[in-house]
Amino acid sequence: MKVAYYSPLPPSRSGIADYSALLLPALRERVEVVVAEPGRRAPSADIALYHVGNEPEAHGWIVDALQKRPGVVVLHEYVLHHLIAGITIGRGNGRGYLDAMERELGVAGRLLALGVLDNLLPLLWETQPERFPLSGVVLDQAHGLIVHSNYVGERARAAGYGGRLWRIPHPAWPMAHVEPATDVSGDPLIGCFGFLNMNKRIPQLLEAFAAFRRGRPGAKLLLAGAAGERFDIERRLERLGLTDGVERLDYVPEERMWSLMAACDVLVNLRYPTMGETSGSVIRALSLGKPLIVSDVGWFCELPDGAVLKVPVDEYEVPTLEAALGLAAEHGASLGAAAREHIGREHSLAHVADEYAAALGTAAGADAVDEAVLWRIAEAAVDVGIDDAPRLARAAVDAGIVT
Amino acid sequence: MRVAVCAPQVPFVRGGAELMADDLVGALRARGHEAELVTIPFKWYPGTRVLDQAFLWRLVDLTESDGRPIDRVIATKFPAYCVRHPNKVAWVLHQFRQAYDYDGTDLGQFSDAPADRATRHAVERLDGIALGEARRVFATSRNVADRLQRFNRIESELLPHPPQALPYRTAPPEGFVLSVNRLDRAKRIDLLIAAAKAEPGLRIVITGEGPDRERLEQLASGLNGQVEFTGRVDDERLADLYARSLAVYYAPVDEDFGMVPFEAFLSSKPVLTTADAGGPLEVVHDRETGIVVAPDAAELARACVYLGEHVEDAMAWGRAGKAIAERVTWDACIDALLS
Repeated sequence: MKVAYYSPLPPSRSGIADYSALLLPALRERVEVVVAEPGRRAPSADIALYHVGNEPEAHGWIVDALQKRPGVVVLHEYVLHHLIAGITIGRGNGRGYLDAMERELGVAGRLLALGVLDNLLPLLWETQPERFPLSGVVLDQAHGLIVHSNYVGERARAAGYGGRLWRIPHPAWPMAHVEPATDVSGDPLIGCFGFLNMNKRIPQLLEAFAAFRRGRPGAKLLLAGAAGERFDIERRLERLGLTDGVERLDYVPEERMWSLMAACDVLVNLRYPTMGETSGSVIRALSLGKPLIVSDVGWFCELPDGAVLKVPVDEYEVPTLEAALGLAAEHGASLGAAAREHIGREHSLAHVADEYAAALGTAAGADAVDEAVLWRIAEAAVDVGIDDAPRLARAAVDAGIVT
Repeated sequence: MRVAVCAPQVPFVRGGAELMADDLVGALRARGHEAELVTIPFKWYPGTRVLDQAFLWRLVDLTESDGRPIDRVIATKFPAYCVRHPNKVAWVLHQFRQAYDYDGTDLGQFSDAPADRATRHAVERLDGIALGEARRVFATSRNVADRLQRFNRIESELLPHPPQALPYRTAPPEGFVLSVNRLDRAKRIDLLIAAAKAEPGLRIVITGEGPDRERLEQLASGLNGQVEFTGRVDDERLADLYARSLAVYYAPVDEDFGMVPFEAFLSSKPVLTTADAGGPLEVVHDRETGIVVAPDAAELARACVYLGEHVEDAMAWGRAGKAIAERVTWDACIDALLS
């Protein structure tokens, strides 16, 4: 079986490119894969697999290909407003944006979109994308859907997606020994990795860390990742008196990131609002057996309780986070052991690649299989006078024989 | 208790799985239960036909019979464990291995075509549903349990089954190595014939029938009476062959378990097997209850010669095996299956 594989790949700097770089070799051991490239003719294959995220530059060409040929979509995040705006308005196709908003919200959606196009309303993909995910544009073309979390699966179903759906965990990187970086330190050293913006709850983290550091003056916070536009992190650090307590690093290459993570005593990965995304940083942290603090939302709240500390996003978020920093530093060993155990059980690369191969095999061939089996069942049923085909099909589905 | 034992049946084929189902019914009845064998003919090819078979089992209603409830269903193999019952227990002797470890090998059934891939995954999904419904899942060997865990993430309890009831006895070894098995390529009887070719002094007796017989007879032609094919034999003759043999050869490719090692042990005979035989290795321990060699004719021939020259070792290893086999009883099995 041949699979046409659509995804950004390194050197593209994105979590999905890293994901595919990890998955592809393992998938190639199980099925024949031909990687599609932007601007080239679509490869011929039995089934196409489209990795879709929210970045128009990285994923626009993938959605274009999907619209020409439906296939299995890996929905890496549920909210795709930025992507859809990019491939419609960004290409001078305002009508496409109006249609997408109308599909999502009916006439009200179309009117809102008109407001955006006429500059009467703020850009919705910047101000409140989570309210208008626009993933329907992609779901309509999906012949099968792969998600990483129940959260996204349930939202897709609620949006009317009725096709085949598989929840396949994010794969973990095979672990070799990682030498901890020696040029960072703290007692404890707390790390936060990835793009730094309001969504990652950096203001709340800084406030909680400032309070935590009053009791633990040796504590240090390592913030590694590029900061978002209009997010003046330096001014915030000054205001909180944290210029000494926080170490800032911009984008760090993969190998350096691993060694920095390994040097940390506690890792933090907060999120709100969630776009339904998973986090490669979280998977890396759990693989390293590090105590990890996450927000109690979306995919993050599906992580096992014993393996991570979950902070609800509410009015007590900052004090809860402060307490969690102390708990994580104190119970690092038990949290880390549970994290490793969870990763080994649920996220092993071999297991994930097996699940992909099964999903792709089913997506490519199950219709023909179902038809063959149902035909024989129906033939036999007709012989005994039962000719209600829909009921027969439902019975076969209920029995688990066909999908 | 009223118990339905569910097992598929391949018409005109009778092997260990069929014996096990019959013996289970007999053992239940001997302990005062009402037991009945429920079976449906099994044909697993071509292509998607295997799913029709599962569907047949899903249609079977075993909640009651003749107005009286059936208290327990014990299913032993795919697709019989697809049957629906509120008190279903799976005692898994085999999954449909063509969809699992045989897939992609010469023993597999499904090609790389999308429809074949989808059928193979449909079997896997169905196993998840059918075994997930069972109140308990037992595996007859560690090999089966590991496969359930590896492919389906199903935890099972290890419960080996006792071998068939034969008039077991022992007698002084008469120098031949016995093969008791269905004549099927996966049972790797050709390796024993190749060993006989490599060692002109080696005598072998091959019992059983199967589709590979003609090929095996051709392989054995010209061996000047070293190899004897008996075909299927009755219980008395089989027990006699076991009793008089030097050792028993049993080396299928990654077998789930098989009753032959226990039958050999109950006759106080050691077992010759290979390091890749799977389930048999759970009881055949090298130079304790038999000899384990690489799947290589020359090595197998050397092991046969060793046993012929060290009969005392062979007898001692056979006795050690007997002590293991005697611990597997129907009482323990039925207690577990009905608890």
